[in-house]
Amino acid sequence: MVHFAFLDWFWLVTFVVLMIGSGALFYRLGKRSEADFFLAGRGLPWWLPASSVYATHTATDTPMWVAGVVYKYGLAGMWYGFFAAWCAVSAFVSTKIFRRSLAYSQAEWQTLRYGGMPAELLRGWVAGWQVFLNMFILGWVGIAMGKVCHFLFGWPPWIGLTFFSTLCAVYVLAAGYWGVVMADFQQGIIAFIAIVFVSLWGVHAAGGPHMIIDKLHAMGLSSMLNPFSFTGFAGGDFPVAWFITMLVIGILGGLGMATAIDWFPEAQRIQSARTVKDASWCIWAGQALVVTRNALWAAAILGFFVLYPGLTQVKDYEMAWFRLGFETLPVGMIGFFFAAIVAIHLSTISTHLNLGAVYLTRDLYHHYINPGADERKLVWVGRVGTLILLLGSFVFGSIMENITEWLIFALWIMAAGVWLPGILQVVWWRFNGWGYLAAWVFNLVFSWLVVWVLPAFGVLPHLKDYQQFWLLMLLGALVFIPVTLFTKAESMDKLVKFYVMSRPIGWWAPVRREAERRGLL
Amino acid sequence: MGFIRRQWMPKEADEWTREDTIAVVLSPIVYILLMLGTALSMFLMWQGFVILAAGVILMLVMIWIINPKLSSISEGYEKKQKGYIEELERKVKWEE
Repeated sequence: MVHFAFLDWFWLVTFVVLMIGSGALFYRLGKRSEADFFLAGRGLPWWLPASSVYATHTATDTPMWVAGVVYKYGLAGMWYGFFAAWCAVSAFVSTKIFRRSLAYSQAEWQTLRYGGMPAELLRGWVAGWQVFLNMFILGWVGIAMGKVCHFLFGWPPWIGLTFFSTLCAVYVLAAGYWGVVMADFQQGIIAFIAIVFVSLWGVHAAGGPHMIIDKLHAMGLSSMLNPFSFTGFAGGDFPVAWFITMLVIGILGGLGMATAIDWFPEAQRIQSARTVKDASWCIWAGQALVVTRNALWAAAILGFFVLYPGLTQVKDYEMAWFRLGFETLPVGMIGFFFAAIVAIHLSTISTHLNLGAVYLTRDLYHHYINPGADERKLVWVGRVGTLILLLGSFVFGSIMENITEWLIFALWIMAAGVWLPGILQVVWWRFNGWGYLAAWVFNLVFSWLVVWVLPAFGVLPHLKDYQQFWLLMLLGALVFIPVTLFTKAESMDKLVKFYVMSRPIGWWAPVRREAERRGLL
Repeated sequence: MGFIRRQWMPKEADEWTREDTIAVVLSPIVYILLMLGTALSMFLMWQGFVILAAGVILMLVMIWIINPKLSSISEGYEKKQKGYIEELERKVKWEE
């Protein structure tokens, strides 16, 4: 249990008022139009959405999983967070292409790239999936805050789950994405200062850098300082084959769209940037901060490791960074640290509240239910959508312990079988809506079979996650490539319009020739 | 014209060129160097400072190479954006 002094309360109350106030201040801008409520009017300089990218991907549960892998594997565990590398490539490839499409969401993009019934089916499916996924992420992150508050104050987890998300909903409901991005900027700064400060303090508390190195040598664990310390090429639980898979997923994934779960919030930030150049740099800089942040955390976790070696239960060491802060910081700074945790939490919650509402409003309500809705009505639907997501997240959060395994499986649907189609839809003109739809449908079937059913019947051994990825990708390709080739290509009018507007890279020669013939290039 | 081109017309900048390839290759390398350099620097290891410095230098080189091209793409595209947005709104309302 942690006890707050006056100064601790001062930090906490001041920061919470600032964070919520700064978001709510933009009420007038947020209510102007759908584009303002969801994209801040497409007018932000790169550093604002960049801070939002960074703040969104710094959640309450993030230091827990970084602690989990670094405590277990040392600095090599940092590679677990390196899937963010997709942004390094995307910033100069798919980010530019997506920004030029002007689509509010990845669901809307489907109807710009594809035509006819498959495009509409894809838009509806992606929108529905994203509403569910954002609600799930809100529940996931919310219950992590519940755990932190239980650890700190002994509160029942539901208080941490509901109280802070409700606080956050105040400015998201009022100002939409304007509130999200303005609060994220401030929260990102607070969170980064706290991460630098607490990590340096944690290293100091563990005896300083040289002491940590000496202790690791004395324990015979020098390999924990080696970022390339793997357990063989394919053997052990941290092999080189996993590392290569992760690099391929991350780096080649940047050529496509929706190849990583983070693509969806990033897509919103890309469209909120005022120019194509601002979009590219916001994605690049935001994720550069994320990988740097992981490194700061990793150093602190090694400090925790030498202070508390030999912990075997994940629940004991996943709180490492929080424990370093709360157990070693001086009186008066605890409140500052907790305020930073609140900032970390609110920035993620606000993003997913607003992002889920984009899909509910723009893709489901506006496109399918009421295409003639005026701007005022659309903003109100956005607010109702935000509220539905908030309430749904409480339900998910309260049953998270029971459903986590199932939902992690559900996330495979996003990652494995649709990773390659996510690239092909950007780089290959002939890939069509039927092919992409088939990839989604059959990935659902194949992932179920490969992860659960076939191992249960002894038909297939229990594969490691990276092996599952390659198998699911191969099985998916055996379906979506024939489906693509045996169905008609998208109409040339559709493809030419898409090409001229977005200028994708890769195999687009027939479309380019047609665009040139029509005098459009 | 040198190996790296820094003056672009919007139409030329829309094409994929050597500058894009260099940026796409350098970019993940910069991420790796920043991550490893920061972690090792936290332990005051000299390798960490060297890697971090290399990451920062390569980042500046990457910006120097690709930023003029991105500026030109943006300049050309922003002129057409208003028309594209009107088209997008017609599509969401099923008018197109």
